[in-house]
Amino acid sequence: MESGSLLRLDGLTKRYPGTIALDDLTIDVPRGRIGLVGANGAGKTTTFRLLLGLAHPTEGHIEVCGLDVERDPIGVRARLGYMPEHDCLPLDQTAADVVSTFGELSGLPARAARQRASDILDLVGLDEARFRSIGEFSTGMRQRTKLAQAIVSDPELVLLDEPTSGLDPAGRDDMLALVARLGTFGISVLMATHLLDDVQKVCDYVVMIDGGRLVVAGATESLLERTGTVTVDVGPSGPDLVAALGAMHLRAVAADGHVEVEVDGDEGLDLLRDLIARLELPLYRLSTRVTSLDEVFLNRSEDVS
Amino acid sequence: MSVVEAGQGAVYDRGYRPYDGPRGRRGAATLALYKASMRRALGIRRSWRQKVAPFVLLGIVTIPAIVNVGIGYVTRNRFLTERIEIITYHDYVGVSAALLLFVALVAPDVVCPDRRQHVLPLMFARPITGVDYVLAKLGAIATIVFAFSFLPQVVLYVGNMLVSDSALDYFTGHLDVVWKVPLAVALLSIYYAVVGVAISSLTERRIVAGASVIGLFLVTSIAAGIFVGDFHEKGGSAAALINVLAMPLYLRDLVFFGHIGPRSPLSGVNNGGLFAIIAYAAVLLTGIAVLLRRYRWVER
Repeated sequence: MESGSLLRLDGLTKRYPGTIALDDLTIDVPRGRIGLVGANGAGKTTTFRLLLGLAHPTEGHIEVCGLDVERDPIGVRARLGYMPEHDCLPLDQTAADVVSTFGELSGLPARAARQRASDILDLVGLDEARFRSIGEFSTGMRQRTKLAQAIVSDPELVLLDEPTSGLDPAGRDDMLALVARLGTFGISVLMATHLLDDVQKVCDYVVMIDGGRLVVAGATESLLERTGTVTVDVGPSGPDLVAALGAMHLRAVAADGHVEVEVDGDEGLDLLRDLIARLELPLYRLSTRVTSLDEVFLNRSEDVS
Repeated sequence: MSVVEAGQGAVYDRGYRPYDGPRGRRGAATLALYKASMRRALGIRRSWRQKVAPFVLLGIVTIPAIVNVGIGYVTRNRFLTERIEIITYHDYVGVSAALLLFVALVAPDVVCPDRRQHVLPLMFARPITGVDYVLAKLGAIATIVFAFSFLPQVVLYVGNMLVSDSALDYFTGHLDVVWKVPLAVALLSIYYAVVGVAISSLTERRIVAGASVIGLFLVTSIAAGIFVGDFHEKGGSAAALINVLAMPLYLRDLVFFGHIGPRSPLSGVNNGGLFAIIAYAAVLLTGIAVLLRRYRWVER
């Protein structure tokens, strides 16, 4: 995998009459699996159009894989794969024909495109169905075909717009597993979604936008910080523990059959452990709670607004 | 390659192989789209039903050439003052106007589904532009119309040459045909392709596009017929220029004769040839402008 930035957005702004789709977005995103998170209308699709060179920014500057999108949109598109959210496949053609044609359209010679179409359809689990018409495919198979056409040319970066949209839980897990594998193939992924669970499962970097403005960007691990809250399950003795902690001026609340205690570092944890032992309470579980991306998004969006 | 054995069977994970071969850019992508559009228009890699129409039409437009050559062959040993000729190269370009039906059938088929099935965003996420897309689609239709118009002329020319008393004399005596036919047929092909694809680009429904193409040609030719009247007796009229169907045939006259032919509804009109060129160019430019507008995919 090449080093260096995958995306570099500098003061990126896109205005339409009466609305600001993106507002002064400045980020430097490393290669890898990136989640672009935001509610509907947050500016994800506009960001994709700008990255593909299909829209001009009102202000600012975009670099994709080291190329200036404004100067060389064709060069950028030659390095990208794109999987739109909506239906976009010709229904009267076979998956093999569609994927190889899009391989050729990405610049592969005809023979290589046919060979790679066959390999990629095998990879996404459509080996048996590749000579069937797409009109006969289920939603999950169409999503896989869309992913196949996006990666058939071995792009440096693939843009996935809501890849799990319309899939049942099993199909969703399969799709996320495929997306997670792309990173190991040396293909960077930018996955736009409003499903933070999906991002948490497969992305190692997250960019959150809301109302066209950057909420936060960073490595997923660094965003999922420990909260300083410890969850303790002592069975029915929860109220006793809360009372004892209260007497020690420690904040604790009983919730959903367990106790949440705010502790300060390892010393606080030792204190809690010793207290449970002294009270001779049964200890079923003791774990530090980690923030979810939902919480990060909600907290940081409030800060931004 | 890893292999996981399970009893008698084995599951192979062929993994992913990066591609490090040659990559083309705009030109290669446009050529790929052109070839894909050609295949679609000719029904290649599609069901047999999709192959019937183009090749039946090719058969129909070739019949006059075969009949003409056949008559030439049958009468080759008879002492005739003049060879029997049921169709001339000039008239044959007019027969090719029947390929308008082909255009009405095929142009919507190569254009409308891309919009109706939302395939265009996928196309324009590739290294092509709206101009490349238009060139590929127009090129595909024009190439097929050209081939279907030109091949019967080749059959006619080669056939006539072979059944003539001296093939060499026939060839040297008809050298002008070698450039006039391809030029006239190219003018016809480009024109029908532009009109057919431009109209088809305005709708996402094939049936509407096909009916619109035929409707435009029919309505304008009927209207021109009404306005011009019986031109064999009183001469032609500039109103013949509203006949969108016949426009390339006026240019055919210019290619073959250097002026509008005596059997044309434009015959006798002052500067008729010049008007025909202007009208032809105007239709072509309008069609191309419509296409570039419809496939201007990059937002301002």
